Amino acid sequence: MRLYEDLRPVRTRLAVVQVVVAGLVALLLLQFWNLQVLRARHFQDLAENNRSRVVTIAAPRGALLDRQGQLLVGNRPSFNVVLTPEHAEDLDRVVTRVARTLGTGEAAIRERLARRRVPYEPVVVRSDADIAEVAALEARRLELPEVSIQVVPLRFYPLATAAAHALGRVGEISERQLDSPAFEGLEAGALVGQAGVEAQYNRALMGRDGYRRVIVNSRGLEVTEAQRQPPEDGPAFTLSLDTSLQMATERAFAGRAGSAVVLDPWTGEILAMTSTPAYDPNEFATGIDPTLWTSLANDPETPLMNRVIQGQYAPGSTFKIVMATAALEEGVITPETTFFCPGHLRVYGKVRHCSVPGGHGVVDVRRALAMSCNVFFYHVGMALEIERIAAWAKRMGLGEPTGVDLPHELGGLIPNPEWKLRTQKTAWYPGETVSVAIGQGQVTATPLQMARVAAIIANGGWLVRPHLVHSAGGGGLDFEPPRPIGISEETLAVVKEGMKAVVAGGTGWRARLRHTVVAGKTGTAQVVSREALERSPDDPSIQPHGWFVAFAPADEPRVALAVLVEHGGSSGVAAAVARSILARYFSEERRPAAPPPTAEAVD
Amino acid sequence: MPLGIDRRLLLNVDWVLLGTALILSLVGVAMVYSAAHTGGSPDLHLKQLVLVGVGLLGLVGAAATDYRRLADRPVLLYVVSVLALAYVVRFGPLIAGTRRWVVIGGFQLQPSEFVKLAAAVVVAKIFAEYRQESLGLRDLLWPGAAVGLLGLLIALEPDLGTAACLVPMLFTVAFLAGLRMRAVVGLVVVMLLASALAWPFLRDYQKTRIYTFLDPSLDPKGAGYQKIQSQIAVGSGGVIGRGYLEGTQGQLGYLPARHTDFIFSVLAEEMGFLGVVAVLGLYLLVLWRMLETARLARDRLGAFLAAGITASLAFQVVYNVAMVAGLVPVKGLPLPLLSYGGSSVLATLMGVGLILSVRMRRFAN
Repeated sequence: MRLYEDLRPVRTRLAVVQVVVAGLVALLLLQFWNLQVLRARHFQDLAENNRSRVVTIAAPRGALLDRQGQLLVGNRPSFNVVLTPEHAEDLDRVVTRVARTLGTGEAAIRERLARRRVPYEPVVVRSDADIAEVAALEARRLELPEVSIQVVPLRFYPLATAAAHALGRVGEISERQLDSPAFEGLEAGALVGQAGVEAQYNRALMGRDGYRRVIVNSRGLEVTEAQRQPPEDGPAFTLSLDTSLQMATERAFAGRAGSAVVLDPWTGEILAMTSTPAYDPNEFATGIDPTLWTSLANDPETPLMNRVIQGQYAPGSTFKIVMATAALEEGVITPETTFFCPGHLRVYGKVRHCSVPGGHGVVDVRRALAMSCNVFFYHVGMALEIERIAAWAKRMGLGEPTGVDLPHELGGLIPNPEWKLRTQKTAWYPGETVSVAIGQGQVTATPLQMARVAAIIANGGWLVRPHLVHSAGGGGLDFEPPRPIGISEETLAVVKEGMKAVVAGGTGWRARLRHTVVAGKTGTAQVVSREALERSPDDPSIQPHGWFVAFAPADEPRVALAVLVEHGGSSGVAAAVARSILARYFSEERRPAAPPPTAEAVD
Repeated sequence: MPLGIDRRLLLNVDWVLLGTALILSLVGVAMVYSAAHTGGSPDLHLKQLVLVGVGLLGLVGAAATDYRRLADRPVLLYVVSVLALAYVVRFGPLIAGTRRWVVIGGFQLQPSEFVKLAAAVVVAKIFAEYRQESLGLRDLLWPGAAVGLLGLLIALEPDLGTAACLVPMLFTVAFLAGLRMRAVVGLVVVMLLASALAWPFLRDYQKTRIYTFLDPSLDPKGAGYQKIQSQIAVGSGGVIGRGYLEGTQGQLGYLPARHTDFIFSVLAEEMGFLGVVAVLGLYLLVLWRMLETARLARDRLGAFLAAGITASLAFQVVYNVAMVAGLVPVKGLPLPLLSYGGSSVLATLMGVGLILSVRMRRFAN
């Protein structure tokens, strides 16, 4: 016998529990409705995004060829070790193993991982791995599924340091470039041109990357390929450079700092361009090692600077070409005008010296150029006055960039009273005009500008636009054609006679060739004052820069050039460098000529 | 103890409950196959099938046991539970940073799963002994302490999810036993306070889980990863699903713990909303029939036992599915009957057996 308990209150409350349970399940269904019915599309996209990856197939950059079709810059296959951090279950362990396998420090790998911007994008932890490293990693493929090897074309510069500044270099795209419209569509890690032709024509050279859409599992292993778009290779560019002339130019410097540029005076095509000291662009090809970069960037010799277009030097006596042209055209002198040079001239209360203490005696414009007589050009400068000098200098392409197809070109400076008032808030002194007349004072010019001045005299008064690219992908490029700047035949003939005399029996005798008539002009750019130089004459860092500008053959010119040797002491070294270059061009590589008995080795 | 099953008992077997539980178990086997066949252990579904078979034996055994006999020795049950848990916490093998298992004859058993059943019996017994019409908070003290010790031991393993199952069990039974509404409200307040106070004692990974639940993008690869990937799996299933064995989230391995705690994600991805409705419907049916048993029970002990087991089961189902849907923080809690795992399947089916036992004996003396 057992009493039945009163279970009615329990049952009432059980109903509450039942309602709660049913209510909770209903709530859950509501959420599933939300996820699976209302937002299904969104999550399907996410799932698709999860499982498919776009792998870019890098398009090889276009090759650079010289004017004979010889390879200047090409590509070679290289192996990159890439790691996708999202796929690693224990990233620390993976990094340790990869570092051990490659024999590198973990810190470098971690640093590269930290720099990454796009999630799920593989990070290159080692560029240009060698075969042994690739083999070691492939052997651990199963243990390290988040690591893989990519074969990528790598930029290759067979000439190494030669023409490095003209050809330029590639490097990883910088943060600033990523945000600029010129690099739109590129992602972090992309290799882009960072200098020279590589930078100037970067987009055209890059071609168009292809891609593969692949299905990957959660460990990042490729399961299958869903789509493929092949890359469009960058087109080959033919440059106007002539490799053998370029190499001769490099050799001519023999370790001295300076620069040289050789132009076709009729078209502006650059046949050779050297700036020393140089760097090896191959070292940048994989994204440069930071310590190497720092040492290059902080080197007092500035190997990264292209002196041909960025070196702004006082043109010194090479500016006398401009002065002679201006004076003849403006009629302040005639070809027959003479001045007497006693070796110095007192102007505006100050004694100015000529290049030789004894003076040149009676000189006309031709002899003044040949002997580089300062006194003659002091007179000419005072007669022309600064405004006309500046106007002619600008007409001949000085004071502003030449527009060469290279980035970061500088324009030099042609001072005038308006400029001085604006920048220094003081009036122009007539004495400054006298300094400008011999290319000193505030005047500066780049070697490329001075080579073009030589080209103007060579080609009969046409201003050319210098350029390096001859044709791209088979098609020619449209550079603005040479334009006449309005110099009379007579003036040109006189200046040319003067320049021929410079080499034949004047200050530029070291540039003389046996079978080819060279027309040139020497110049010296003072680094410090004459007095300072006299105090410590043996300090190499205060020696003046030597200039030599020239064209040849004088009567049927085929090349125009400018050479600048930093701290060369005088223009003699520059003339000798020019001779080596010209000798190579005209196949006259023999011993330099003996000095003529009359010429003094000064300008 | 006589285990004879007479025909009167057989007449009162709840075939609907038994059948539904069986169907869910088989769905589980199918989903374990889908989730695990491409991985390192392609035969997991066969093991699960064997475990379901063993579970059915346990179910029959439990159903054949008179729950009143079982409740006759609550102290013994309780002491054995405490000792088992203490042993595991102290001597259990360290697996994945936790001590939850004992190894017997090559099989891993999780005592906490079975302690849940023991706790249900003990709690039902204590409350069944109370004779007054309504209970206050003071009456909760004694059973609360008893269950609290078990929960604490389980939490020490640590296995917070399983420990948490004891809470709804205790409160549901207390509620049915006549806990005053005022006390219910007070309890809710105390719980909220307690969780605030517990915060400093949580392990770092537990805090991280809560943070990342609130904002998964804080750690898309770590703790937030599971929630994000699970939601993607569920959502991308759409209405009709991507098809059995066709879900990319599960098959390509983006879902973590996909054959255990996140098996419902695989189901939702491959079977879609329709599959979710069907399976949740089956679960609701199971829970409903269990509560129905509690309603039909001949005595308070039977009603409380059925309700206690149901409450912890309902909590597990709701919490796990809510976790899969991204509604609550990720916590290691298997989905009963569907998730791979011997102890869970065995204990759940034994629980079903106990409830069958209550129903079978509704008219018996």
